[in-house]
Amino acid sequence: MRLPQFDYHAPETLEKALKLKGELGAAAPILAGGTDLIVNLRHRLLSPAVVISLKNINEIRGIEIKPDALVIRAGTSLAETAGNAAVREHLPILIRAIESLGATGIQHYRGTIGGNLCLTPRCLFYNQSHFWRTGKGICRRTGGPECLALEGSVSCQSVCSGDTVPVFVALSAQLTIAGLGGTRTVPAAKFYTGKGESPFNMAPEEILTEIRVPIPWGPLSWSYQRISIRSAVDFPLINAACTAILDKETIGSFRLVVSAAGPAPVILREAETAFRGKKPEPEMVRMAGEMGMKAVEGISVENASASKAYRVKMAGVVARRAVLEALKLS
Amino acid sequence: MKKQMLSMTVNGDEVDLAVVPHATLLEVLRLDLGLLGVKEGCSEGVCGACTVLMNGDPIRACLTPALEADGTEILTIEGMASGGKLHPVQQAFVQGGAIQCGFCTPGMILSTKSLLDRNPRPTDEEIKTALAGNFCRCTGYAKILHAVRVAAEGGSANVGVNRKE
Repeated sequence: MRLPQFDYHAPETLEKALKLKGELGAAAPILAGGTDLIVNLRHRLLSPAVVISLKNINEIRGIEIKPDALVIRAGTSLAETAGNAAVREHLPILIRAIESLGATGIQHYRGTIGGNLCLTPRCLFYNQSHFWRTGKGICRRTGGPECLALEGSVSCQSVCSGDTVPVFVALSAQLTIAGLGGTRTVPAAKFYTGKGESPFNMAPEEILTEIRVPIPWGPLSWSYQRISIRSAVDFPLINAACTAILDKETIGSFRLVVSAAGPAPVILREAETAFRGKKPEPEMVRMAGEMGMKAVEGISVENASASKAYRVKMAGVVARRAVLEALKLS
Repeated sequence: MKKQMLSMTVNGDEVDLAVVPHATLLEVLRLDLGLLGVKEGCSEGVCGACTVLMNGDPIRACLTPALEADGTEILTIEGMASGGKLHPVQQAFVQGGAIQCGFCTPGMILSTKSLLDRNPRPTDEEIKTALAGNFCRCTGYAKILHAVRVAAEGGSANVGVNRKE
């Protein structure tokens, strides 16, 4: 079926795009690769008047190496990011996440890093055709009376499904958000509001322009784990990213993030506090599993292709595997 | 709805068209240019039947607004053969029995071409990864994977799949 009608603008500069965004806000979504937006348009989940393509905005693409950080511009394709030598050297965990994502022919050349971070959170009752939704019921996020996944919920429980999300959070990345008035910086960890209906700490008039990842201060130990039904194409049912820097066999810095559970990724702070300063030991794997399950139990609902019970259990599995691999405990 | 100009190269030919902004590349290739080898399988970008190459990269024509192709080079299955001869990848598919109904075939062949242009000697895992986004309901994939291997090895003549494999 045809897409709904929209006007298409492909401005040449970020400034022009921001002017349009400033005028139209939510009525003018950004078209990066389109592998999420166009599907949602086809399902009539939104009917914007205008679509703003990043196609001609060269300043929103590219990767820059600074002395202390890698700056990935939001419009850089997943393939370009995964093929970048500096990313391979300093952030191999990001390459693993990109390789796990979707499929080569779908997202890797069109899809962008910014698009993956700003992936519209997903739900079994939302990501369906218009035909399906008029049969089952229009959910709260799309203007209906109630959330179909969690009875009585006044907030959307949809799932933050980007593979790169927990990775950027685990790497303590900073996101640059541009508006007409200037730019501001938000830590990746604070970019996600936890509310499915307005999932990002970003106004409708703003555009995500850059992801700044500090270069790890020591050799990075890492792991990215995901569970999905098929080995490609599918979104994660649950995922986890773990980064650690070992300093003379002691854990100097550590972060474990579980995502694809609720509207926002979860940093397992308890693990950070418990493990930092200690030598890696097998007990940490078990502890991480418990913490992962507990965190996901609190924020996941029955809105994915697998049951909540399964995803909670798998949260334990991915947390354990991530710690096992990152701390080289296997 | 006001149309916009779209200029692109399709299978080596320059094309200039006025299209509505919400037209997808799939619609324009099939309906405006008559290139029916680009198939609509799922309209969601999952199945890979609409795969075309944009500047050598495999993309989903069903998820790409046509105007995104402005200034680019598009290759469809119709552009693979040249001088009346099949491209070696096509030849390997034909001779290897890798085609049943043929619906997934254009997408499979274009994804394969893109893979081999980038990586002439892929491992089996690399082949599977490259084709993971192309679904086939008929063949069970075995002969498709074999055809890709054969094409990678430069073989096109005397290709037979050992039935006992």
